[in-house]
Amino acid sequence: MATTYIIKDDEKTKKWKTPHGELYIIKDRCKGCSFCIEFCPKKVLVESKEFNAKGYHPPELQEDETKKCINCGFCAMICPEFAIFSEADAQSKDIAQIPEKEYPIPESPKIPEIKKARDVLTGEHFWNGDVAAAEGAIAAGCKFFGGYPITPSTEVAEHIAERMPQVGGVYVQMEDEIASIAAVLGAAWGGAKSMTATSGPGFSLMQENIGLAVITETPCLIINVQRGGPSTGLPTLVAQADVMQARWGTHGDHEIIALAPNSPQECFDLTIECFNLAYKYRTPVLLMMDECVGHMTERVVVPERSKIHLVDRKKPKGEPGKVKIYEADEDLVPPMPYAGEGYNIHMTGLTHDERGYPSTIPETQERMIKRICDKIRIHADEIIRYEEFMLEDAEIVVVAYGITSRVVKRAVVMAREKGIKAGMFRLITLWPFPEKKVRELAKKVKNFLVVEINYGQMVLEVERCACPSKVHFLGKMGGSVHTPEEVLQKITEVTK
Amino acid sequence: MHEVEESPLDAYLRADRIPHIWCSGCGLGIVTGAFIRAIQKSKIDPKLVSVVAGIGCTGRIPGYLNFDTFHTTHGRAIPFAIGLKIAKPELHVFVISGDGDLFAIGGNHIFHAARRNVNITVICVNNFNYGMTGGQVGPTTPEDARTTTTPYGNIEPAFNLPYVMASSGAVYVARWTTLQPRKILDSILEALQKDGFSFIEVISPCPTAYGRRNAQKDAMETMKFYQYKTKVKHGADPKEGDISLTGEILTGKFVDIQKTTYMDRVKMLVEKANKKGA
Repeated sequence: MATTYIIKDDEKTKKWKTPHGELYIIKDRCKGCSFCIEFCPKKVLVESKEFNAKGYHPPELQEDETKKCINCGFCAMICPEFAIFSEADAQSKDIAQIPEKEYPIPESPKIPEIKKARDVLTGEHFWNGDVAAAEGAIAAGCKFFGGYPITPSTEVAEHIAERMPQVGGVYVQMEDEIASIAAVLGAAWGGAKSMTATSGPGFSLMQENIGLAVITETPCLIINVQRGGPSTGLPTLVAQADVMQARWGTHGDHEIIALAPNSPQECFDLTIECFNLAYKYRTPVLLMMDECVGHMTERVVVPERSKIHLVDRKKPKGEPGKVKIYEADEDLVPPMPYAGEGYNIHMTGLTHDERGYPSTIPETQERMIKRICDKIRIHADEIIRYEEFMLEDAEIVVVAYGITSRVVKRAVVMAREKGIKAGMFRLITLWPFPEKKVRELAKKVKNFLVVEINYGQMVLEVERCACPSKVHFLGKMGGSVHTPEEVLQKITEVTK
Repeated sequence: MHEVEESPLDAYLRADRIPHIWCSGCGLGIVTGAFIRAIQKSKIDPKLVSVVAGIGCTGRIPGYLNFDTFHTTHGRAIPFAIGLKIAKPELHVFVISGDGDLFAIGGNHIFHAARRNVNITVICVNNFNYGMTGGQVGPTTPEDARTTTTPYGNIEPAFNLPYVMASSGAVYVARWTTLQPRKILDSILEALQKDGFSFIEVISPCPTAYGRRNAQKDAMETMKFYQYKTKVKHGADPKEGDISLTGEILTGKFVDIQKTTYMDRVKMLVEKANKKGA
């Protein structure tokens, strides 16, 4: 370090000695700002006549030898290019220097470890979907929740706020949803399983940082308890109108994983599943609940801890400093280093290469986008979950998800009673869309009916995949759930 | 004068990315250098240094630093840093970002982070405008200054950053210019010695986008402006820290106090929740 600007009393002569410095320069780094020349207290530098590689005139020592460098180091500190520095010359090296000051740097208090953490509440419970999801997260080892209260997801936050300290985790109520998701990403890089929960307006605010999670491959969970929209819409009432936003809400090419539970039990189970998928594929995962599922209270069975399968990150195999942090394995998923492990991570929302360095080369963009999409696409079969109900001999397939699937199930039974061969195909994984399965079904049945609480969203996906079958649609704009009779009437109508 | 290939700072730089993208005379390199020297002097484990930034010219600083570095979305460096710090309290988390990133688009976050007294150090490089997008007006642009979106002069009053940070609850607030690199270094070291929300503003030249539109034809003129107009006063009332287009720049340490930090409170909360009978 070039800051040995020390003057020391010479013991014998009782005279002050001035140290002298030798100057070093990396000429091609210079951009010719002249700060080192102008602000040198001894004015030892002048602009040279030569050109460096960038076309600037780097500084040189001036000819007047009475003006000598005193090794104050100011040129190094004022140089914006890290291009110049001084070191004590041979004669000055033995001049004693003022000893370096010690700087006592305090350590922040650590969160105490909980020896007997009550993280898995094995047994039977009577929980609503929001609470069950919160418990699922804690059972999955989630240790950080950043959130902002919004109906109808508040019970997730409230329950987590109570439970998180009990397991040595942290609930932070951030100043808004943007801060919430940003904090969730930060926590993930710090090594904590992290999540947030929100609803429509908050989900909209989070979109940009969901994109950051996608491009930086940050595992995390975002729960959206859907309500009616657009905008403030129906804060307290049900809708399923954010499912396309879940797919395409953030800008740019990407794939996303989104699951939709239809009961409090599934809220618990799928929350754990979401964390597993997030860590397996290094990606943000969405749990697309709806107000009815969130507020419905039912029996939830929490298994023993040993029965809960948890997926952790893939640790980098190489030595810190030698690992390219975005170099993927054969499964296209790169291992994930955490901050503080010595990997000198560079995480950026810019298009980046395998080192994490930003790049504006189209080939890098091509490679990066293809890999972050393909890592989901090639594993679609492993990711996708669905429920088949009375599909073996079905002549009409009713497609539904979330709360709607429970109504549809009843309607299918009623249709069977009337002699109509109906069946249900329930999407548990919304994204990636189970297109292979729908294409298979389309070979067997002539009619699909999509029932959802919106004005036509997943029906577009079914239409895309169900050719040449006819695809019918029964929507509801939000605020209430279809009745089984409404669905039955539609089934009857389209099978006539 | 000896010609060499490497600088002593290169150990903490991603030297393969140098030269950096900043213009000739831009102060960001000076801040970067001061930061590295402060980390060297502090002797903290470089493994435990994390630097978070938002978007903008200053947001590019982490990309050149050979620590764990995070280049997040515009305005969101602070909440990202909060999550990082909570998840791993042993990290020394720094946010280095620009005035527009931290106080316009990210304004909400910085005030709340100071209120919470989150254990992070924020270095805000203030160049009075949005440099990366070509020099538009920002929350710190002085009144009457010309920018690409205030062609007739800025009609809005500017934020006085030390004042807003002090009133939001920061435990350490200082301001320097890039002509005072030693002060920046010392301030970073002082901030590191405080386990709470500390804030350092660095006034920096933006010759390409701001200076030349405001009677400073190059970075040297801006630096000379600092030389003649900077006043150092420790313990000054941050209220006096307003910056006008041609007036004095008040620098120094405004606030240095001790308060219970966020991580202290988190620790107490976890202990409370796990007491028997809780």
